[in-house]
Parts: sequence; structure tokens; C-alpha cells
Amino acid sequence: MFAITVDIILNSLVLGGIFVIMGVGLNIIYGLNRVMNLAHGALYALGAYFGYTVVSAGGNYFLAFIAAPILVGVLGLIIERVLITPMRKRSMIYTLILTYGLMFVIDGLIKFFWGVETRFIHLPEFMQGSVSLGSASYPVFRLVILIGIAAVVAALMLLLGRTRLGINMRAASEIPEMVSACGVNVRGVQISGFVLGCMMAGTAGVLAGPLFTVFPIMGHDMLISSFVVVVIGGLGSLRGAVIAALMIGFVQTLAEFFITEMAMVIVYMLMALILVIKPLGILGEGKFE
Amino acid sequence: MSNMEQAAPRSLMMQRLGGGKAMWITTAAAVVILAVLPFVLPNRFYIRLVNEIMIYGLLAMSLDVLLGYTGLLSFMHNAYLGLGAYATGLFMIHIWPESIWISMLVGTVFTMAVALPVGWVQVRTGGLAFALLTLSFGMMFYTVAWKWYDLTGGDDGLMGLPQPMISLFGIDLASSGNSTAIYLFTLGVLLMCFLFTWRVIHSPLGAVLEAIRENEERASFVGINVRRYKLIGWMLACGLAGVAGSIYILYRGYTGPGVMGAFEGAGVLMMVLLGGMGTLWGPFIGAALFIVLKDQLSSWTQDWEIFIGAIVILLVLFLPKGVAGLPALFQKSPGGEG
Repeated sequence: MFAITVDIILNSLVLGGIFVIMGVGLNIIYGLNRVMNLAHGALYALGAYFGYTVVSAGGNYFLAFIAAPILVGVLGLIIERVLITPMRKRSMIYTLILTYGLMFVIDGLIKFFWGVETRFIHLPEFMQGSVSLGSASYPVFRLVILIGIAAVVAALMLLLGRTRLGINMRAASEIPEMVSACGVNVRGVQISGFVLGCMMAGTAGVLAGPLFTVFPIMGHDMLISSFVVVVIGGLGSLRGAVIAALMIGFVQTLAEFFITEMAMVIVYMLMALILVIKPLGILGEGKFE
Repeated sequence: MSNMEQAAPRSLMMQRLGGGKAMWITTAAAVVILAVLPFVLPNRFYIRLVNEIMIYGLLAMSLDVLLGYTGLLSFMHNAYLGLGAYATGLFMIHIWPESIWISMLVGTVFTMAVALPVGWVQVRTGGLAFALLTLSFGMMFYTVAWKWYDLTGGDDGLMGLPQPMISLFGIDLASSGNSTAIYLFTLGVLLMCFLFTWRVIHSPLGAVLEAIRENEERASFVGINVRRYKLIGWMLACGLAGVAGSIYILYRGYTGPGVMGAFEGAGVLMMVLLGGMGTLWGPFIGAALFIVLKDQLSSWTQDWEIFIGAIVILLVLFLPKGVAGLPALFQKSPGGEG
């Protein structure tokens, strides 16, 4: 019983942590650019594939952990400049459809370059065993990934709370005109927000690669789960996304443990229930929509 | 204020009167051409292709009611086609295989019964969350169809469907297994659905939906219950998708969960975009272009996903009004898109 409890708690923290990184990334992009990026899941898959390529080319997993987000971030910058910039003045429906098309382009490119087979990210020697926690034992690599998630979240909190760029970002998501009036280049802040969001998708991908294996449509389920997270948490609310992500991670882990096949249905039901009670999400203020 | 006085009535007038006569002549001509097609085209393959275009055209038209007229985006409208198909199929297999009309009615009513609570939750959350939720709920239906093996046959899909007689006023006309018969049947149902939707969209109800699309806040200020009318638009769209689903399974004699997948949903969205949203007839042209394009691309390359996605991106960037927007492009009219 103790072993199962430890398992469920740690697994739900790992899953919830991945959701936190995905959901906060989506919300940073949305808060600054008013763009809901439907290619977010495809960028997540791309992060995992970049990680796989770095490791199978002889690199270390930790090198992949650094390199993959940077590569995805560069791609995010290109996407912002080429596709998102011309859409700024258009209705939101068009950006939704555009990024949805982008998702299929990236999915197709992944299949084209890496094939459809499932890939495995080879982990270093010390991460392959299990560690015993009292009467329970837990795989080391999951603990390492949990620490990685914690590091990413801490770095993000530092960035948003302590640096000038992060403070500008938070301010620009509230009142861009005011930030602009203070002499800050708001366009630059918005672009960095987009790139940061894309990098977070890549980070989540490289972290999730060893957990769920790497396959071309791995981003689809994650995209849907991220939507559940941002909609339940409230669009644009970072705190709401964190709460919702941990909650969904816990519920999904429990549901997968007890009923396996249709765990996601339980998650959707929970989402519908929350939205009936709070249509704008847990911390949604209804400012944007 | 002057903006609203000029823009809204003009576009309505053009649709009601300006396009009126030419519109009816074109519709009649299209129906006549489609009706004689199976008797002049010897190749069964093309008949089936046109049949599929008609079914997906109906689905795309139903999405246009939502996207082009109400201004709401559904990423997985095909999920409701799937619901209609599964409900019709299961009813025919397990309950009553005899009547084509009752089966279609059951499929459509079931689809709307599922769509009602989903739509009720979705319209409460606002425009963007609405779009995201359509994806989540669509994936949920897909998961159920895929994993509930005992009911739906899982990945194998529903098989062994009976082929009821197509009857009219108690007279049996032909078996639905006959490809010409099911083709003409599809055409008839399609025409009825099109006329019905055309009538609804050009009634005061349609004007309310368009008002919501143009400016939700303003619509609510003049006393329109925005949520209720969004829900009506949603139910209309899902009901039509259910009809499309019923014909789909009668025509194919089979359905699998693949028809409800996310990629198929993107295809339906692309049909509306290709043809031009907010026109009702545009999606049919879009469906024809898309299905022919997909047919050609998939015989030419395995990676046609990339091309479909790229075409969507190019359409949004350069031709947001689709084929229906082409004439205006050449006339250099001043009106841009919203």
C-alpha cells in the first residue's frame, strides 16, 4: 500500500510537472501575443526528437536537455517572424487555424526525417537503476526528471520574478501600452515571450522523452492535455495553470492506475464539471475573452 | 456607429437579393448535373468519389454555419459526423435494420442529444476556450470510439451492416447497397439540408448569428441572448453533421474511429477555408477541391500531411476568403477581412 501511494504521488508530480511546463509556456505566449499556439504539442515532440538525436549522436542526456530547447527556440523565432507577425492585426480565429496547419507541417516533417518508429532516448548508466524509499522503490531516471522539472520551474520563477525581461513580460501581458510608454520595446518583449514559450515546449519534450518514449504523434495528447490545463486554470493565468496542471496530473495518474483504458475520459469529465461551476477557469478573470 | 450602418445591411442585402436569382439558377444546374452524373459516367470509382464529396460537403457546410455565420471555431466537427455514423450503424445492427429513414433519424437525434450538453458547457466559456474545448471533447469521443471495443469494435470499426431498402412513402425503391441508388439518395438529402440551412441562415435567426459573429458585445447590448443563440448555431451545425454521418455509414457500409480523428477534423476545416466561409455553397467547392487534392497527393507522396498543413497556412496568409473570395480579389474591392 505504501509502495503504491509513493508511486502515485511521485508519478503524478512528474506528469503534473510536465503539464506545468507546457501549460505555462502556452499561457506566456497567449498572455503576451494573444496567440493560442496549436503547434505547441508539435514543438514538444520536436524537443523530444532533438533530444533523441543529440543522445544518439553520442551526446550526454544533460547536453540534450540544454540543446533541444535552444533548437526549438530558434525554430520558434523563425515561426514568430514569418508566420505570426503578419497575423497580428487579424481575428484570433485565423491564428488558431494557421498554427493548426503548422502543427501538421511539423508532424509531417518529423515523420519525414525520423520515420514513424518509436524511439528511445538512451540514458546514462547511473539513471537506469531504482532507488529504494522505505519499502517502496522508484526508478532513478524519474527522480532525475522530477529534479529537472523543479529546476526548470525555479528558473522560470527567477526569470519572471527577478529579471528585467521577466518583469517587462508580466507587465506587457497586463497593459502593453503602459510598458511601451515607459520606453520599453514591447515588440521585443512579445517576441521573447513567444520564443520562451516555444523553448518551454521543447524542454517539456526532452524531459518527457525518456518517460513516454518518442513517437511522431506524441504531441497530440500533450496538446489536448495542455488545453485542458490552460482552460481549467483560466486563460493567461500562470498561477491557474500551475494549480490546474498539478490537479490534472494527479487525477490522470489515479485514473490510469485504476481504469487504464479510458483515463482521459475521466479528465475531460472533470474539466466539464469545473467549467460548469467556473466558466472562466479557476483563476480566470475573463479579461481577454 | 456609421461603420455598422454601412457594413452590416449591405452584406445582408447582397446575400438576400443580389446573389438570389443567380444563386438559385446555379443550385438548380448543379443538382441537375449531379443527378445525371451516374448515368453518363461509366466509372464507379468517380461516382463514389462524388458521393464522398457530397457527404463531406454537407459536413463542411454544417461547419460553415458555425464558423462563417456564428464566428465559432470547431476543430473536430468530424467527431459529430462520427457520432451520427456510429449511432446509425449500432441502431441498424442491434435494434432495427429495416428502415433507412428511422435509422437516419436516430443517428441525427443521438448526435444532437450528445451535442447539447457539450455545447452548453462550451458556449459558457467564451470564444477562444470554445475552440479549445471542441478539440478536447472531440478527442474524448474519438477515445471512446477507439477504446470501447465491446460496443464499437475498437480499431476494427463497425462491420456487418445491413443494407436496408431506400423507400419513399412506403414504396421500396432500391437497396442502399446499390451505388447509384445511394448516390441519388445522398443528393436528395443533401438538397433538402442545403435548402433548409439556406432558409434558416437567411431568416432573422441567421441575422442574429451574424450579428454575434461581427460583434458579440454589441449584440448583447441590443438584447440578444448571445449564449442561447451560439448554442442554437452549435446545435444546427451538429444536427447537420449527424445527418452527414448517417449517410456516411449507409454509403460506406462501415465506419472506424479514424473518421473521428484530429487530422480528419483539420481536413473539414480546410474544406471550409478553401471554399470560403460564410457562403454556405463555398464549402461544397472546398470539399471537392480537398478530396480531389488529397486523392492526387496521397498517390504522389506519403508525406501529404506536410502539404495539407502548408496549404492551410498559405490559405490563411494569402487567401483567407477562399475560392469564394477570388472574384473580389480581381475586382480590387476595398473590403478587407475581419
